[in-house]
Amino acid sequence: MPFLPRGVARPADLIKHLNALAPLPGVVNLRHTVDNDWSGDPAIFFWITLSDEAAHPAILPQTTRHIINEITQQLDPAGQWGLIPYFNFRSQSEQAKLKEEVFG
Amino acid sequence: MAYHDDLLKHAIFLSELNLPNDPKQVDLRRAVSAAYYALFHLLTTEAAQNWKHQSQRNRFARMFDHGRMKTCCSKVSSRPFPADPAEIPIAQSLKLIADSFVTLQQARHTADYDNSKIWSRTQVWETIAQAEEAMTGWMVIRENEMAQEYLFDLMGTR
Repeated sequence: MPFLPRGVARPADLIKHLNALAPLPGVVNLRHTVDNDWSGDPAIFFWITLSDEAAHPAILPQTTRHIINEITQQLDPAGQWGLIPYFNFRSQSEQAKLKEEVFG
Repeated sequence: MAYHDDLLKHAIFLSELNLPNDPKQVDLRRAVSAAYYALFHLLTTEAAQNWKHQSQRNRFARMFDHGRMKTCCSKVSSRPFPADPAEIPIAQSLKLIADSFVTLQQARHTADYDNSKIWSRTQVWETIAQAEEAMTGWMVIRENEMAQEYLFDLMGTR
């Protein structure tokens, strides 16, 4: 019988835990999708819109590193939910222009 | 300058074209791909350095398989840190490199094959920063035994 990751089997639980994440500085909007990655492994894709200040090139690496660490530590996507985490970022002004639905 | 450093510089160059507000998707996609291959070639070149016969090192480096490398990196990401406190900083660096490799590989695959995905400059800069951080981290730990084991494991030998 194929192994079904907890994040796929219990999506409502996953959403509950995502909603319980402590506030993340610089994050304007956080959405997620659960899908397979390129090699077929179950994965969770985070679509994160940052404030323009947080996405400033001078501090972008620190901003994103902090957010990735926080989500990874609080949620533990791979260990607790069986999903490889992938993080996608864009700034608020970029999203205002691009209007990509997955970012909300 | 080494090929992997050139690739990273090329990624930065592409990502900064048409500043401030008009990046072309083709430039952003190629930048993501170059960032992944910068890390890929750094690791495979490093592994090939361990091959005794210099004339065969490029052939040796071509033996690496993207999927097997991902599997290895996922294992490194999920394994517990060593009991010896002295080894923990090395393991942390290795985890960061492995995590970055998995992330960059997925980004590269999307950039090269999924035309429905729209790239933003912020996303691309974040990807490049991750490659840069992983490559810098590697240069610090590269002589360590655990790092050398990792190179061997990247071949998919276990």
